[in-house]
Amino acid sequence: MLKATKKRFDIKITQANSTVSDTFELDKNIVKVHGVLVTSDKDDLLYYRGTQKIEINKEEFFPDNYESKLLMSGINVAPKQRYYDLGGVSPGNGRVQIVYKDLDDGRTVFTAYRVSLYLDCEMEDEL
Amino acid sequence: MMKEGVIITKINIKRQGERKHFQIKLPNDTKFIIGVEYGGRLISKSDVVKFAAAEIAAPPIKSPVLETWHTAIDTVVVGERSKGLFKRNQLVGELKLQSSEESNWFYSTDVFVADANLSYGDFSNAGFKVNDFTHGNKRTEEFVKVDAESTIIQGWYLDALGKSQKVDINYEVTIYVWINVEE
Repeated sequence: MLKATKKRFDIKITQANSTVSDTFELDKNIVKVHGVLVTSDKDDLLYYRGTQKIEINKEEFFPDNYESKLLMSGINVAPKQRYYDLGGVSPGNGRVQIVYKDLDDGRTVFTAYRVSLYLDCEMEDEL
Repeated sequence: MMKEGVIITKINIKRQGERKHFQIKLPNDTKFIIGVEYGGRLISKSDVVKFAAAEIAAPPIKSPVLETWHTAIDTVVVGERSKGLFKRNQLVGELKLQSSEESNWFYSTDVFVADANLSYGDFSNAGFKVNDFTHGNKRTEEFVKVDAESTIIQGWYLDALGKSQKVDINYEVTIYVWINVEE
């Protein structure tokens, strides 16, 4: 039986104007990735300063310099609609790569922050 | 099989009233342009700060409006407030795109960075401060359907932010062109 599950992966941004790259592995029984969402513990920094590239199974879904604000949803968005719809992507080797770039913006003062990548997945109940 | 992709183009604006012509090169296997969206980033605050300082000396000049008034971290204050409750959104510029195959623009928009009246959407009065990054809507592209066999898009951008404030503001407009690619 298939069931919905949400996965969260975190990266830490400790330096201004830096690029942080990380690769995460999805569970083997995940069969589809339906949506993606990014949030942060300091969401103003993510909103104004963040851009990222996201790859799933070495396939690029969001290229370099894709602004994080385009993948964020505020609390005004209904919880079931917050994820950016990818349309049911096969996870392949299950590797998800994020290359996050922090860039100075005139409206924010840098302080270390966390970026969380959420994936809306569908998994098989039993392997 | 068709696959979606996105092409990102950045335009850097430095002078007030600056007009930019640019081209967006699409991959050779592009079949259609299916959507357009945009974003923006303030690069240099120095001009804004200088201008804010100048405003103290010369009050009639309006300061640049880059974000909503309720954003505490902004040193930029809303200049043009209407006398009523609601405020006018700050126009940042005009963006137009043309396909090389067809006459006329296929996409034309006024570029705004923020909704100046976002806080009026929350009637709960719960003390949760309203900001774009907490209360903003999910963003989606505007749908278009244009043939893309010539793989070149002509673009045109005209600054309105610096022009309306009569100051040079350095900012970047990012244009996202969503395409259908044949696999």
